[in-house]
Amino acid sequence: MRSTLVLALALAGALIVASGALALWPIGAPVALTALDGDAQRGAYLARAGGCIACHSDPGSGRPALTGGAVIETGFGRFVPPNITPHDPAGIGAWSIEDFARAVRQGVAPDGTPYYPAFPYAFYGHLSDQDIADMWAAFQTVPPQGMVAEGHEIDFPFNLRFGLKLWRAAYAGGQPTQPDPSRNAEWNRGRWLVNGLAHCGACHTDRNMFGGRKPDRALMGSDDLPGGGKAPAITPDALRRTGWDANALAFALKSGVKPDGDTFGGGMGEVVKHGTAWLRPQDRTAIAAYLLKGE
Amino acid sequence: MTYKTMIAGLCVAGLTAGAWAHSGAMGVVKERMDAMKAMGEAVKRIKPMMSGEAEYDAGVVRAAARVIAKESGTAMTAKFPEGSGGGVSEALPEVWGDRARFEALARDLETTALGLERAAQNGVHGADHMTGDMSAMMGGTSGMMGGMMGTGHTTGAMDVGHIAQMPADGAFVMMTQVCSACHDRFREEK
Repeated sequence: MRSTLVLALALAGALIVASGALALWPIGAPVALTALDGDAQRGAYLARAGGCIACHSDPGSGRPALTGGAVIETGFGRFVPPNITPHDPAGIGAWSIEDFARAVRQGVAPDGTPYYPAFPYAFYGHLSDQDIADMWAAFQTVPPQGMVAEGHEIDFPFNLRFGLKLWRAAYAGGQPTQPDPSRNAEWNRGRWLVNGLAHCGACHTDRNMFGGRKPDRALMGSDDLPGGGKAPAITPDALRRTGWDANALAFALKSGVKPDGDTFGGGMGEVVKHGTAWLRPQDRTAIAAYLLKGE
Repeated sequence: MTYKTMIAGLCVAGLTAGAWAHSGAMGVVKERMDAMKAMGEAVKRIKPMMSGEAEYDAGVVRAAARVIAKESGTAMTAKFPEGSGGGVSEALPEVWGDRARFEALARDLETTALGLERAAQNGVHGADHMTGDMSAMMGGTSGMMGGMMGTGHTTGAMDVGHIAQMPADGAFVMMTQVCSACHDRFREEK
Protein backbone atom coordinates (compact mmCIF):
# COMPACT_ATOMS: atom_id res chain seq x y z
CA MET A 1 0.00 0.00 0.00
CA ARG A 2 2.64 2.44 1.12
CA SER A 3 5.06 1.43 -1.62
CA THR A 4 2.36 1.71 -4.27
CA LEU A 5 1.53 5.10 -2.95
CA VAL A 6 5.15 6.19 -3.00
CA LEU A 7 5.54 4.90 -6.53
CA ALA A 8 2.41 6.67 -7.72
CA LEU A 9 3.51 9.89 -6.10
CA ALA A 10 7.00 9.51 -7.47
CA LEU A 11 5.62 9.15 -11.00
CA ALA A 12 3.35 12.09 -10.50
CA GLY A 13 6.28 14.01 -9.08
CA ALA A 14 8.45 13.14 -12.08
CA LEU A 15 5.82 14.39 -14.50
CA ILE A 16 5.52 17.56 -12.59
CA VAL A 17 9.25 18.11 -12.53
CA ALA A 18 9.30 17.59 -16.29
CA SER A 19 6.73 20.26 -16.77
CA GLY A 20 8.87 22.57 -14.72
CA ALA A 21 5.86 24.65 -13.92
CA LEU A 22 5.28 23.80 -10.35
CA ALA A 23 8.66 24.78 -9.04
CA LEU A 24 8.20 28.24 -10.48
CA TRP A 25 4.64 28.65 -9.30
CA PRO A 26 4.73 31.52 -6.84
CA ILE A 27 2.72 31.02 -3.66
CA GLY A 28 1.63 33.22 -0.84
CA ALA A 29 -0.11 36.55 -1.05
CA PRO A 30 1.58 39.82 -0.12
CA VAL A 31 0.87 40.93 3.42
CA ALA A 32 -0.32 44.41 4.33
CA LEU A 33 -1.30 44.41 7.97
CA THR A 34 -3.82 46.93 9.18
CA ALA A 35 -2.81 46.42 12.80
CA LEU A 36 0.81 46.63 13.83
CA ASP A 37 0.56 47.56 17.50
CA GLY A 38 0.29 44.36 19.44
CA ASP A 39 -0.87 43.46 22.94
CA ALA A 40 1.73 40.92 24.07
CA GLN A 41 -0.45 39.54 26.83
CA ARG A 42 -3.31 38.80 24.47
CA GLY A 43 -0.83 37.41 21.96
CA ALA A 44 0.65 35.05 24.53
CA TYR A 45 -2.84 33.80 25.25
CA LEU A 46 -3.40 33.12 21.56
CA ALA A 47 -0.02 31.40 21.35
CA ARG A 48 -1.08 29.12 24.19
CA ALA A 49 -4.47 28.40 22.66
CA GLY A 50 -2.90 27.79 19.25
CA GLY A 51 -0.37 25.29 20.54
CA CYS A 52 2.73 27.31 19.53
CA ILE A 53 4.26 26.72 22.94
CA ALA A 54 3.17 23.08 23.24
CA CYS A 55 4.59 22.05 19.88
CA HIS A 56 7.74 24.18 19.69
CA SER A 57 8.91 23.30 23.21
CA ASP A 58 10.15 20.04 24.66
CA PRO A 59 10.17 20.48 28.44
CA GLY A 60 11.51 16.97 29.08
CA SER A 61 14.61 17.79 27.03
CA GLY A 62 15.87 20.47 29.41
CA ARG A 63 16.02 23.02 26.58
CA PRO A 64 14.27 26.37 27.11
CA ALA A 65 10.72 26.83 25.86
CA LEU A 66 10.18 27.58 22.16
CA THR A 67 13.65 26.44 21.13
CA GLY A 68 12.20 23.47 19.24
CA GLY A 69 9.76 20.70 19.99
CA ALA A 70 9.84 16.95 20.27
CA VAL A 71 10.27 15.06 17.00
CA ILE A 72 7.05 14.16 15.17
CA GLU A 73 7.39 10.82 13.36
CA THR A 74 4.96 10.56 10.45
CA GLY A 75 4.40 8.34 7.44
CA PHE A 76 6.05 11.06 5.36
CA GLY A 77 9.16 11.44 7.47
CA ARG A 78 10.47 12.98 10.63
CA PHE A 79 9.46 16.54 11.48
CA VAL A 80 11.21 18.68 14.05
CA PRO A 81 9.35 21.79 15.21
CA PRO A 82 11.98 24.54 14.91
CA ASN A 83 13.26 27.18 17.30
CA ILE A 84 10.85 30.15 17.17
CA THR A 85 12.49 32.40 19.74
CA PRO A 86 13.48 35.82 18.33
CA HIS A 87 17.08 34.74 17.74
CA ASP A 88 18.92 35.55 14.52
CA PRO A 89 19.71 33.16 12.88
CA ALA A 90 18.56 30.21 15.04
CA GLY A 91 14.98 31.42 15.44
CA ILE A 92 12.78 34.12 13.94
CA GLY A 93 15.00 37.03 14.97
CA ALA A 94 15.51 38.28 11.42
CA TRP A 95 11.83 38.17 10.52
CA SER A 96 9.52 41.10 9.98
CA ILE A 97 5.95 41.10 11.22
CA GLU A 98 4.88 40.58 7.59
CA ASP A 99 7.09 37.47 7.40
CA PHE A 100 5.45 36.24 10.57
CA ALA A 101 1.95 36.88 9.24
CA ARG A 102 2.67 35.05 6.00
CA ALA A 103 4.25 32.11 7.81
CA VAL A 104 1.44 31.67 10.32
CA ARG A 105 -1.59 32.34 8.11
CA GLN A 106 -0.35 31.18 4.70
CA GLY A 107 2.26 28.57 5.57
CA VAL A 108 4.98 30.25 3.53
CA ALA A 109 8.48 30.85 4.87
CA PRO A 110 10.19 34.24 4.43
CA ASP A 111 12.25 32.78 1.55
CA GLY A 112 9.04 31.78 -0.26
CA THR A 113 9.16 28.03 0.36
CA PRO A 114 5.99 26.33 1.62
CA TYR A 115 5.84 24.72 5.04
CA TYR A 116 4.83 21.13 5.59
CA PRO A 117 1.30 20.78 6.96
CA ALA A 118 2.74 19.32 10.18
CA PHE A 119 2.64 23.04 10.94
CA PRO A 120 -1.15 23.54 11.10
CA TYR A 121 -1.20 26.89 9.31
CA ALA A 122 -4.37 25.84 7.50
CA PHE A 123 -6.17 26.41 10.81
CA TYR A 124 -4.53 29.74 11.47
CA GLY A 125 -5.61 31.35 8.22
CA HIS A 126 -8.54 33.07 9.85
CA LEU A 127 -6.44 34.91 12.46
CA SER A 128 -7.06 38.64 12.17
CA ASP A 129 -4.35 41.24 11.63
CA GLN A 130 -4.78 42.22 15.25
CA ASP A 131 -4.32 38.58 16.37
CA ILE A 132 -1.11 38.42 14.36
CA ALA A 133 0.18 41.72 15.76
CA ASP A 134 -0.56 40.55 19.31
CA MET A 135 1.21 37.24 18.79
CA TRP A 136 4.15 38.96 17.19
CA ALA A 137 4.41 41.27 20.21
CA ALA A 138 4.31 38.23 22.52
CA PHE A 139 7.15 36.51 20.66
CA GLN A 140 9.29 39.63 20.94
CA THR A 141 9.24 39.25 24.73
CA VAL A 142 10.75 35.76 24.60
CA PRO A 143 14.48 35.59 25.33
CA PRO A 144 16.38 34.76 22.09
CA GLN A 145 18.00 31.34 22.25
CA GLY A 146 20.73 30.25 19.88
CA MET A 147 20.21 26.50 19.75
CA VAL A 148 19.33 25.17 16.33
CA ALA A 149 16.72 22.42 16.15
CA GLU A 150 17.57 19.39 14.01
CA GLY A 151 16.35 19.50 10.42
CA HIS A 152 13.39 17.49 9.11
CA GLU A 153 14.14 14.12 7.53
CA ILE A 154 11.47 13.69 4.90
CA ASP A 155 11.13 10.70 2.61
CA PHE A 156 11.14 11.02 -1.18
CA PRO A 157 9.06 12.36 -2.88
CA PHE A 158 7.67 14.40 -0.03
CA ASN A 159 11.07 16.00 0.47
CA LEU A 160 10.51 17.95 -2.75
CA ARG A 161 8.94 20.97 -1.22
CA PHE A 162 7.36 22.28 -4.40
CA GLY A 163 4.95 19.33 -4.18
CA LEU A 164 3.53 21.12 -1.17
CA LYS A 165 2.19 23.78 -3.46
CA LEU A 166 -0.27 21.23 -4.78
CA TRP A 167 -1.12 20.25 -1.23
CA ARG A 168 -1.80 23.85 -0.35
CA ALA A 169 -4.07 24.27 -3.34
CA ALA A 170 -6.00 21.10 -2.51
CA TYR A 171 -6.23 21.08 1.26
CA ALA A 172 -5.18 24.31 2.89
CA GLY A 173 -8.58 25.97 2.68
CA GLY A 174 -9.56 26.99 6.18
CA GLN A 175 -12.76 26.13 8.01
CA PRO A 176 -15.53 28.71 7.93
CA THR A 177 -15.16 30.88 10.98
CA GLN A 178 -17.56 33.73 10.30
CA PRO A 179 -19.81 33.97 13.35
CA ASP A 180 -23.25 32.44 12.91
CA PRO A 181 -25.69 35.06 14.21
CA SER A 182 -28.36 32.42 14.82
CA ARG A 183 -26.19 30.80 17.53
CA ASN A 184 -25.13 32.30 20.84
CA ALA A 185 -21.75 33.89 21.56
CA GLU A 186 -20.47 30.89 23.51
CA TRP A 187 -21.11 28.50 20.65
CA ASN A 188 -19.48 30.86 18.17
CA ARG A 189 -16.46 31.32 20.39
CA GLY A 190 -16.20 27.55 20.79
CA ARG A 191 -16.37 27.03 17.06
CA TRP A 192 -13.73 29.68 16.44
CA LEU A 193 -11.41 27.90 18.86
CA VAL A 194 -12.15 24.31 17.83
CA ASN A 195 -12.06 24.78 14.05
CA GLY A 196 -9.47 27.51 14.04
CA LEU A 197 -6.81 28.40 16.54
CA ALA A 198 -6.97 25.29 18.75
CA HIS A 199 -6.95 23.12 15.56
CA CYS A 200 -8.64 20.11 17.15
CA GLY A 201 -9.15 18.64 13.69
CA ALA A 202 -5.40 18.39 13.11
CA CYS A 203 -5.54 15.14 15.10
CA HIS A 204 -9.23 14.33 15.56
CA THR A 205 -10.02 14.41 11.82
CA ASP A 206 -8.73 11.55 9.72
CA ARG A 207 -6.45 12.38 6.82
CA ASN A 208 -6.18 10.90 3.36
CA MET A 209 -3.02 9.38 1.89
CA PHE A 210 -1.70 12.83 1.07
CA GLY A 211 -2.15 14.15 4.58
CA GLY A 212 -5.21 16.23 3.70
CA ARG A 213 -8.10 16.20 6.14
CA LYS A 214 -11.21 14.38 4.95
CA PRO A 215 -13.99 16.97 5.12
CA ASP A 216 -16.73 14.36 5.62
CA ARG A 217 -14.82 12.88 8.58
CA ALA A 218 -14.51 16.11 10.57
CA LEU A 219 -13.74 15.41 14.24
CA MET A 220 -14.66 11.73 13.81
CA GLY A 221 -11.27 10.59 15.10
CA SER A 222 -8.15 9.15 13.51
CA ASP A 223 -6.24 5.87 13.89
CA ASP A 224 -3.31 7.14 11.97
CA LEU A 225 -1.59 9.82 13.99
CA PRO A 226 2.16 10.44 13.89
CA GLY A 227 3.99 7.76 15.86
CA GLY A 228 1.11 5.30 15.47
CA GLY A 229 -1.19 7.21 17.81
CA LYS A 230 -4.94 7.44 17.83
CA ALA A 231 -7.30 10.29 18.49
CA PRO A 232 -10.88 9.49 19.46
CA ALA A 233 -13.98 10.88 17.77
CA ILE A 234 -15.16 14.10 19.41
CA THR A 235 -18.44 14.58 17.59
CA PRO A 236 -21.48 15.26 19.82
CA ASP A 237 -22.74 11.67 19.48
CA ALA A 238 -19.36 10.10 20.17
CA LEU A 239 -18.76 12.32 23.19
CA ARG A 240 -22.12 11.54 24.75
CA ARG A 241 -21.67 7.84 24.08
CA THR A 242 -18.39 7.85 25.98
CA GLY A 243 -19.84 9.55 29.03
CA TRP A 244 -18.99 13.20 28.47
CA ASP A 245 -21.08 16.19 29.41
CA ALA A 246 -20.17 19.86 29.13
CA ASN A 247 -18.84 20.17 32.69
CA ALA A 248 -16.71 17.05 32.45
CA LEU A 249 -15.30 18.12 29.11
CA ALA A 250 -14.45 21.64 30.24
CA PHE A 251 -12.76 20.30 33.35
CA ALA A 252 -10.89 17.66 31.33
CA LEU A 253 -9.37 20.41 29.19
CA LYS A 254 -7.74 21.64 32.37
CA SER A 255 -7.05 18.39 34.27
CA GLY A 256 -6.88 15.66 31.62
CA VAL A 257 -9.34 13.55 33.64
CA LYS A 258 -11.86 11.45 31.72
CA PRO A 259 -15.36 10.54 32.99
CA ASP A 260 -14.17 7.15 34.28
CA GLY A 261 -11.27 8.58 36.29
CA ASP A 262 -8.66 7.65 33.69
CA THR A 263 -6.55 10.47 32.25
CA PHE A 264 -5.69 11.47 28.69
CA GLY A 265 -2.74 10.07 26.79
CA GLY A 266 -1.66 9.89 23.20
CA GLY A 267 -0.43 13.49 23.17
CA MET A 268 -3.62 15.04 24.54
CA GLY A 269 -1.91 15.38 27.92
CA GLU A 270 0.55 17.78 26.34
CA VAL A 271 -2.24 19.69 24.62
CA VAL A 272 -3.91 20.19 28.01
CA LYS A 273 -0.82 20.94 30.05
CA HIS A 274 0.74 23.43 27.64
CA GLY A 275 -2.41 24.63 25.93
CA THR A 276 -5.98 24.37 27.10
CA ALA A 277 -5.17 24.37 30.84
CA TRP A 278 -3.96 27.96 30.37
CA LEU A 279 -7.19 29.16 28.86
CA ARG A 280 -9.82 31.12 30.71
CA PRO A 281 -12.54 28.88 32.13
CA GLN A 282 -15.09 30.45 29.80
CA ASP A 283 -13.03 29.44 26.76
CA ARG A 284 -12.87 25.82 27.91
CA THR A 285 -16.60 25.96 28.53
CA ALA A 286 -17.12 27.37 25.04
CA ILE A 287 -15.06 24.58 23.47
CA ALA A 288 -17.08 22.00 25.40
CA ALA A 289 -20.38 23.64 24.46
CA TYR A 290 -19.53 23.73 20.76
CA LEU A 291 -18.23 20.16 20.68
CA LEU A 292 -21.33 18.79 22.40
CA LYS A 293 -23.75 20.74 20.25
CA GLY A 294 -21.98 20.48 16.94
CA GLU A 295 -22.84 22.49 13.86
CA MET B 1 7.29 -19.87 52.54
CA THR B 2 6.49 -22.64 50.12
CA TYR B 3 3.15 -20.98 49.48
CA LYS B 4 4.76 -17.66 48.60
CA THR B 5 7.37 -19.33 46.46
CA MET B 6 4.66 -21.19 44.68
CA ILE B 7 2.70 -18.01 43.99
CA ALA B 8 5.83 -16.26 42.76
CA GLY B 9 6.65 -19.26 40.60
CA LEU B 10 3.19 -19.25 39.14
CA CYS B 11 3.42 -15.57 38.35
CA VAL B 12 6.74 -16.01 36.58
CA ALA B 13 5.48 -19.06 34.74
CA GLY B 14 2.37 -17.14 33.76
CA LEU B 15 4.47 -14.33 32.38
CA THR B 16 7.04 -16.37 30.52
CA ALA B 17 4.40 -18.59 28.99
CA GLY B 18 2.42 -15.53 28.06
CA ALA B 19 -0.60 -17.22 29.56
CA TRP B 20 -3.68 -15.08 30.01
CA ALA B 21 -6.22 -15.42 32.77
CA HIS B 22 -9.84 -14.59 32.03
CA SER B 23 -9.12 -10.99 32.97
CA GLY B 24 -6.57 -10.94 30.19
CA ALA B 25 -3.49 -10.28 32.29
CA MET B 26 -1.41 -12.12 34.87
CA GLY B 27 1.52 -11.55 37.14
CA VAL B 28 3.16 -8.18 37.18
CA VAL B 29 1.08 -6.95 34.23
CA LYS B 30 -2.09 -7.66 36.19
CA GLU B 31 -0.57 -6.04 39.27
CA ARG B 32 0.17 -2.82 37.47
CA MET B 33 -3.21 -2.80 35.77
CA ASP B 34 -4.85 -3.18 39.17
CA ALA B 35 -2.69 -0.38 40.55
CA MET B 36 -3.67 1.90 37.66
CA LYS B 37 -7.31 1.01 38.21
CA ALA B 38 -7.08 1.82 41.91
CA MET B 39 -5.55 5.19 41.08
CA GLY B 40 -8.20 5.88 38.45
CA GLU B 41 -10.93 5.10 40.94
CA ALA B 42 -9.33 7.41 43.50
CA VAL B 43 -9.23 10.19 40.91
CA LYS B 44 -12.83 9.55 39.96
CA ARG B 45 -13.97 9.76 43.60
CA ILE B 46 -12.59 13.23 44.14
CA LYS B 47 -12.84 14.79 40.68
CA PRO B 48 -16.42 16.09 41.19
CA MET B 49 -15.20 17.93 44.30
CA MET B 50 -12.40 19.52 42.30
CA SER B 51 -14.65 20.65 39.47
CA GLY B 52 -17.20 22.09 41.90
CA GLU B 53 -19.85 19.49 41.14
CA ALA B 54 -19.80 17.83 44.57
CA GLU B 55 -19.35 19.00 48.12
CA TYR B 56 -15.74 19.12 49.22
CA ASP B 57 -14.54 16.58 51.79
CA ALA B 58 -10.90 16.95 52.85
CA GLY B 59 -10.82 13.48 54.42
CA VAL B 60 -11.87 11.79 51.19
CA VAL B 61 -9.32 13.82 49.23
CA ARG B 62 -6.53 12.85 51.64
CA ALA B 63 -7.44 9.18 51.42
CA ALA B 64 -7.50 9.29 47.61
CA ALA B 65 -4.16 11.08 47.52
CA ARG B 66 -2.67 8.39 49.75
CA VAL B 67 -3.85 5.64 47.39
CA ILE B 68 -2.06 7.36 44.53
CA ALA B 69 1.07 8.18 46.52
CA LYS B 70 1.36 4.55 47.57
CA GLU B 71 1.18 3.28 43.99
CA SER B 72 3.57 5.86 42.50
CA GLY B 73 7.35 6.36 42.53
CA THR B 74 9.38 3.18 42.83
CA ALA B 75 6.24 1.18 43.70
CA MET B 76 5.11 1.92 40.16
CA THR B 77 8.41 1.50 38.32
CA ALA B 78 9.01 -1.84 40.08
CA LYS B 79 5.86 -3.12 38.37
CA PHE B 80 7.45 -2.47 34.97
CA PRO B 81 10.42 -4.87 34.94
CA GLU B 82 12.43 -5.35 31.76
CA GLY B 83 10.68 -7.72 29.38
CA SER B 84 7.17 -7.30 30.76
CA GLY B 85 5.76 -5.46 27.73
CA GLY B 86 3.77 -6.92 24.85
CA GLY B 87 0.65 -9.07 24.93
CA VAL B 88 -2.26 -7.44 26.70
CA SER B 89 0.03 -4.85 28.26
CA GLU B 90 -0.58 -1.29 27.12
CA ALA B 91 2.94 -0.28 28.10
CA LEU B 92 4.92 1.07 25.14
CA PRO B 93 8.54 -0.01 24.57
CA GLU B 94 9.58 3.51 25.62
CA VAL B 95 8.96 2.44 29.25
CA TRP B 96 12.25 0.59 28.96
CA GLY B 97 13.80 2.65 26.16
CA ASP B 98 13.48 5.95 28.00
CA ARG B 99 13.62 4.68 31.56
CA ALA B 100 14.98 7.89 33.07
CA ARG B 101 11.98 9.90 31.88
CA PHE B 102 9.58 7.18 32.98
CA GLU B 103 11.09 7.07 36.45
CA ALA B 104 11.09 10.86 36.70
CA LEU B 105 7.36 10.96 35.91
CA ALA B 106 6.66 8.22 38.46
CA ARG B 107 8.54 10.33 41.02
CA ASP B 108 6.60 13.44 40.00
CA LEU B 109 3.39 11.53 40.56
CA GLU B 110 4.50 10.62 44.08
CA THR B 111 5.50 14.22 44.78
CA THR B 112 2.22 15.66 43.54
CA ALA B 113 0.13 13.00 45.32
CA LEU B 114 1.94 13.68 48.61
CA GLY B 115 1.47 17.39 47.94
CA LEU B 116 -2.25 16.88 47.34
CA GLU B 117 -2.54 14.92 50.58
CA ARG B 118 -1.20 17.93 52.47
CA ALA B 119 -3.07 20.47 50.35
CA ALA B 120 -6.39 18.71 51.02
CA GLN B 121 -6.97 20.91 54.07
CA ASN B 122 -6.76 24.07 51.92
CA GLY B 123 -10.03 23.36 50.14
CA VAL B 124 -10.77 24.30 46.55
CA HIS B 125 -10.13 27.69 45.06
CA GLY B 126 -13.07 27.31 42.75
CA ALA B 127 -12.14 29.86 40.10
CA ASP B 128 -9.36 29.17 37.72
CA HIS B 129 -6.14 29.05 39.66
CA MET B 130 -3.89 29.10 36.61
CA THR B 131 -5.15 32.06 34.72
CA GLY B 132 -7.58 33.66 37.15
CA ASP B 133 -5.01 36.30 37.91
CA MET B 134 -3.37 36.65 34.56
CA SER B 135 -1.20 39.63 35.42
CA ALA B 136 0.33 37.95 38.48
CA MET B 137 1.07 34.82 36.54
CA MET B 138 2.61 36.65 33.63
CA GLY B 139 4.59 39.05 35.76
CA GLY B 140 6.62 36.07 36.88
CA THR B 141 10.16 35.09 36.15
CA SER B 142 11.43 36.46 32.88
CA GLY B 143 9.38 39.46 32.01
CA MET B 144 5.85 39.52 30.84
CA MET B 145 5.75 36.18 29.08
CA GLY B 146 7.44 34.32 31.91
CA GLY B 147 4.52 32.01 32.42
CA MET B 148 2.34 32.32 29.41
CA MET B 149 5.02 31.88 26.75
CA GLY B 150 6.51 28.94 28.58
CA THR B 151 9.83 30.57 29.30
CA GLY B 152 9.35 30.29 33.03
CA HIS B 153 9.48 26.49 32.82
CA THR B 154 11.23 24.78 35.63
CA THR B 155 12.17 21.23 34.82
CA GLY B 156 11.69 18.60 37.46
CA ALA B 157 11.45 21.10 40.30
CA MET B 158 8.28 19.79 41.91
CA ASP B 159 8.29 20.08 45.64
CA VAL B 160 5.83 18.63 48.18
CA GLY B 161 6.10 21.65 50.48
CA HIS B 162 5.25 24.03 47.66
CA ILE B 163 2.29 21.97 46.45
CA ALA B 164 1.02 21.72 50.05
CA GLN B 165 0.43 25.50 49.94
CA MET B 166 -1.76 25.29 46.85
CA PRO B 167 -5.54 25.07 46.75
CA ALA B 168 -6.47 21.38 46.61
CA ASP B 169 -7.89 21.69 43.09
CA GLY B 170 -4.63 23.22 41.89
CA ALA B 171 -2.65 20.35 43.42
CA PHE B 172 -5.11 17.86 41.96
CA VAL B 173 -4.74 19.24 38.43
CA MET B 174 -0.97 19.30 38.78
CA MET B 175 -1.12 15.62 39.72
CA THR B 176 -3.52 14.53 36.98
CA GLN B 177 -1.40 16.35 34.40
CA VAL B 178 1.49 14.14 35.49
CA CYS B 179 -0.72 11.08 34.87
CA SER B 180 -1.41 12.37 31.35
CA ALA B 181 2.21 13.30 30.66
CA CYS B 182 3.17 9.71 31.38
CA HIS B 183 0.28 8.24 29.38
CA ASP B 184 1.21 10.51 26.46
CA ARG B 185 4.61 9.01 26.18
CA PHE B 186 4.41 5.52 27.67
CA ARG B 187 0.91 4.13 27.18
CA GLU B 188 -0.56 2.71 24.01
CA GLU B 189 -3.96 4.22 23.23
CA LYS B 190 -6.39 1.44 22.39
